Amino acid sequence: MIEIKNLRASIETDDGEEKEILKGLNLSIGNGEVHAIMGPNGSGKSTLSYVLAGRDDYEVTEGSADMNGEDLLEMEPEERAAAGVFLAFQYPVEIPGVNMSTFLKTSINSIRKQRGEDELDALGMLKLIKEKTKALGISEDMMKRAVNVGFSGGEKKRNEVLQMAMLEPKFCVLDETDSGLDIDALKIVADGVNSLRAEDRSFLVITHYQRLLDYIKPDVVHVMANGKIVKTGGPELALELEEKGYADFIGEAA
Amino acid sequence: MANNVVSILDHKDLPTPKVEQWKYTNLSRALGGGLLEVVPEKIPEKIIHIPRGKVCEHIEDIMWTAVDKSHQHLHLKIVLEDSAEATVFERHDGQGTYWKNMSTEIVLGANARLNHVRLQTDSMDAVQTNIVHITMERDSYLNSFSLNLGGKLTRHDIHAVLKGSNIDCSLNGVSLLNGNQHGDTTILMEHTAPHCVSNQFYRTILDDASRGVFQGKVHVHQAAQKTDGYQLANTILLSPKAEMDTKPELEIYADDVKCSHGTTTGALDEEPLFYLRSRGLSEGEARMLLMQAFVDEVVDKVADETMHAQIKGMTEKWLKQQVS
Repeated sequence: MIEIKNLRASIETDDGEEKEILKGLNLSIGNGEVHAIMGPNGSGKSTLSYVLAGRDDYEVTEGSADMNGEDLLEMEPEERAAAGVFLAFQYPVEIPGVNMSTFLKTSINSIRKQRGEDELDALGMLKLIKEKTKALGISEDMMKRAVNVGFSGGEKKRNEVLQMAMLEPKFCVLDETDSGLDIDALKIVADGVNSLRAEDRSFLVITHYQRLLDYIKPDVVHVMANGKIVKTGGPELALELEEKGYADFIGEAA
Repeated sequence: MANNVVSILDHKDLPTPKVEQWKYTNLSRALGGGLLEVVPEKIPEKIIHIPRGKVCEHIEDIMWTAVDKSHQHLHLKIVLEDSAEATVFERHDGQGTYWKNMSTEIVLGANARLNHVRLQTDSMDAVQTNIVHITMERDSYLNSFSLNLGGKLTRHDIHAVLKGSNIDCSLNGVSLLNGNQHGDTTILMEHTAPHCVSNQFYRTILDDASRGVFQGKVHVHQAAQKTDGYQLANTILLSPKAEMDTKPELEIYADDVKCSHGTTTGALDEEPLFYLRSRGLSEGEARMLLMQAFVDEVVDKVADETMHAQIKGMTEKWLKQQVS
């Protein structure tokens, strides 16, 4: 259960001024639910995802974000990951010199360690990687490459879903995971996400395009504009937005 | 005994800035015009000479150890005749305060192949100066790697002359410095013949108030058409007091060449750090992984597995101390 109340966050701009981006956001996601957030550029969608994951460029000035009663905002990014927060990045970061298997191994064992579980041995890790990559159509060759370096757009997004599958999170935030994907890649990503849907796992799907929601069926759709949720509805709201655009909401929020 | 004492000031053979290509040792002035007397004892010398066509299966292992309050003038000469092959492992350490002044000569005949790995773990109070002259004949190959960890002040001057065509010369290095260490690498790569490839790949991590210098120049003579000359020097600064000075240079007189140089200097990138932390790595683990990867891209140029493992162990140890 995710409970976000009156969340306000700002970032320091290049000329040293504080700019408020989240302006009192409220959001409540029940266990096992999939919520979608849609909204125009600059409405604060990506900021919300970064604030939830713990990026320290943003200063939270007011409000709270709890997961199953735990205060997320008090935790370091790695503690949130261990507690079960997973952010699928809009722009997955390239890490030259670190190959995929080393990265996955280090990540999984860091999280297991924090959760008080035994580290996976080499064999266990190999089995896990094999199983999960196969389901997502990821070649073993990709495991030898440096993280996201030279990956195509589709490969980067599939790689995010692969990590999500391996880390078994409780709360997944997908930041425009569908952007720039062709229909085949989109289906693979959506299938990956759908296979992870579970009673004790919640999803927040941030997207620009209604198309994604044909493949990942949301329980609730929110419209975000100017740092707030301005409208909440069922899946039909996404279709309405696709037709009419955001013009109404931009006016409303300002 | 008195006959053996030579005043450096009357020594006619000492190079002056005018004749010396490197403008490096105006020694008498550096010493404030005072009288430095040297006793020309036998200079410790190591000569590795591989005859024509011989492939040296074992690794030539050289260890130079210095004692406290000493100055040593060392000479290392590696000569590979035509089509000879060898691997040389050169290690440096010592205790206390000393000056290790070294000259290294590498002479590679046609089609000769040399792998040269140098580990410098001199005492933190030591000064090491090393002038390296490399001459390479046609079709020869040199893969050189140097790890600099020790020394209060170290300067590594490398002058490579590619004399024939189809030469492949790689000079790679990693410097990991902290405290008040000063480490300088200066390279002049001279392409005098066509169809040669040269690479310079240096990575440095500086902590505390340490200072690094990288000056690298690729000089392509008019005859050296179809040259591929590359140079890359990247530095990570871990402390606001650390300083890196880089001066990449290209001097090209031929009109059909591919040359590039690049340097970067900065703190560890925030974006990969956050990405790794969002995947559960602690800040320390994330920094360690990123720095190790940064260093490994150069270390991986060392082909021999045993030496590679030893270097990796040493860099890991240094990085762990920095992170903790």
